[in-house]
Amino acid sequence: MPPPQGPPRIELPGVGHVLAVASGKGGVGKSTVAANLALALAGQGAKVGLMDADIYGPSVPIMMGVPCPIDQNVTPLPLEKFGLKLMSIGFVVPPEKAVIWRGPMVDRALRQFLDGLQWAPLDYLVLDLPPGTGDAQLTLSQHTRLTGAIIVTTPQDVSLVDARKGVEMFHEVRVPVLGIVENMSYFVGDDGKRYEIFRHGGGKKLATAVGVPFLGDLPIDPRVAECGDQGEPIVHRYPDSPVAQAYFKLASTVVTELAKRPNEQELPDVVM
Amino acid sequence: MTAADGTVPTSMRREGDYLVIDWSDGTIARLSWKMLRDACPCAGCREERDKPADPFRILKPQELVPLAPVAMPKVGRYAYKIVWSDGHDAGIFTLEHLRELSRRTTGELS
Repeated sequence: MPPPQGPPRIELPGVGHVLAVASGKGGVGKSTVAANLALALAGQGAKVGLMDADIYGPSVPIMMGVPCPIDQNVTPLPLEKFGLKLMSIGFVVPPEKAVIWRGPMVDRALRQFLDGLQWAPLDYLVLDLPPGTGDAQLTLSQHTRLTGAIIVTTPQDVSLVDARKGVEMFHEVRVPVLGIVENMSYFVGDDGKRYEIFRHGGGKKLATAVGVPFLGDLPIDPRVAECGDQGEPIVHRYPDSPVAQAYFKLASTVVTELAKRPNEQELPDVVM
Repeated sequence: MTAADGTVPTSMRREGDYLVIDWSDGTIARLSWKMLRDACPCAGCREERDKPADPFRILKPQELVPLAPVAMPKVGRYAYKIVWSDGHDAGIFTLEHLRELSRRTTGELS
């Protein structure tokens, strides 16, 4: 009898880069960043997928305007919208129903999303992670080939403290941190003045402190929330807005960071 | 995780009763499988180690058979798991942990 080996690693052939959008803290705009970054990358002509790895609080269905649950006989998964391939637990579970699962079920669902769906061909698969450093993060770093993680924070200390934990977790599991993004960084009023509502610069300071690149800051625009709730991210609806332009710049920075990094060294197999 | 000092294994192989690790800094470590089992980092083994020794413990039949590793798959890019002949496979040996055990065998750590 062959020895037990545990679940095999998910290789995702035909998928170029697997990018995790993460943070330590909830409510910093991870899903908004993941959705708009995915669209900005697609705007550069890349083939992009967006996978919602937040099993307990999926956001992709609302942000992408997908009425749920979908009929899989009519709409195969991953479904396509705005030029992206999309997957979320929210597509198959009615929106009012809570997913009450322990870790192993989350692990199984995520592996099924990655392994059981036809993602290829893709240049980028963006994973929208839940907050924290728990089951989803561990499953993805253990079973997939994550190219890099993008850590989202807001400027306040309360968010930065947790963002730092997120960076530390990815360092520990040897997933390269591509950098830190400061979301809700500032607001430009009708008077043309810049207001730093939640303070400013914390993301850059944290990036320097932990030795990872600072990928950029994203301004506040009430239309971001409005677009998210209406199911059409701002990069798609208002591509000329300053926020959308900041996302296009972020996408270019991410591509540049990826180009700088050779593939992270794989561990050797143990010859038994 | 690279080990805290930044080293990674460049090759790993079983040589009889030992796991031999070539580290990227040029050092070679020979860790006995017994040492590795005794240092299993899983919650169950840790709890067992922390308990006072039971003088009346009766060994189970499977404990009388010498333990051997049957596989050592990678876990992500940061660790390995050892699958033992008694079916135990819960311990995740991070590179940091393996490095620490390696340093212990070379006398760098007591």
